[in-house]
Amino acid sequence: MSASKQLFALLCLFLLVSCAATTPANVVGSGTQLETRQIQTRRYDTLDKPMTMRSVIATLQDLGFTIDQADTELGTITATRLHEYTMRMTVTVVEKEGRQISVRANARIGERAVTDAETYQDFFVVLDKALFLTLHKVD
Amino acid sequence: MRRAFHTLLLIACISGCAPTIPKAALRLPESTLDIRAIQTRRLEASSEIAILTATIAVLQDMEFNIDRVEKSLGVVTASKLSDADSKGEKASLFFLDMLCVVSSGRSCEASSTARDDQHITLTIVVLPSLVGIDEYSVRITMQRVIQDKVDRIKVLERIDDAETYQNIFDNLRKSLFIQEGDS
Repeated sequence: MSASKQLFALLCLFLLVSCAATTPANVVGSGTQLETRQIQTRRYDTLDKPMTMRSVIATLQDLGFTIDQADTELGTITATRLHEYTMRMTVTVVEKEGRQISVRANARIGERAVTDAETYQDFFVVLDKALFLTLHKVD
Repeated sequence: MRRAFHTLLLIACISGCAPTIPKAALRLPESTLDIRAIQTRRLEASSEIAILTATIAVLQDMEFNIDRVEKSLGVVTASKLSDADSKGEKASLFFLDMLCVVSSGRSCEASSTARDDQHITLTIVVLPSLVGIDEYSVRITMQRVIQDKVDRIKVLERIDDAETYQNIFDNLRKSLFIQEGDS
């Protein structure tokens, strides 16, 4: 095959590939569903939902976030921190059976999702302290 | 040699794409207690609605727009876009321009190049105090993004200046006083 034919074939292939319907990139996320949930979720039985949400807001404020939106009914709180980089977090507080409260947090830094367990562990350590303070009626 | 170069290039590409999440992104800094003290006050008010109304009025006084309110959680989120240059900075740039005119006969256009915009976002959380009756815990957090004329981000920071927070709390106390007097 001559060089010009090879080039033509390559061009055709490129056009075919570019015309094919492609899945939008980075919509579904990269982690496995169950693993991601485990890393991002903790269960508590110390306080009710409103008081847990109060503690979550205090935690986010301690960590330097401002609250973008909060919804008591759905239990969602979204917050942003501007410090060297932009970090966004969404925390959901859901009532479970047996007076348990599930708290799930997910975070992104700029375009990247935070996937490491250690960072989420750090968040829950701060939340544990805030829950303790709320439980013992410290503002 | 060429192979080594390609290997190096590949490593550089891979490491360049790898996400670098800061290790202590969600750890409490040592200054947390000091910052919390600057950002928090306990105020007396007749009701939760009264203190929330006074808070919103103060934000309007400060020319903020209210983005969201979640009454049951006492969360008020507000923001404003304003000029980031202080009067002092503007005056010095004006004098720099004047100096250019005097020395070279034409302006350096320092004043026109230095106009930065700042987008300030603020959250006020007003909740019944866990300690006292008719008392409310008020905590303010603020941060800002400063962008230059061509929208390049120059500063991305939390506002920690104690005086700024104190001024807002003073205004809130005044707002509560005026409101109680009106009713």
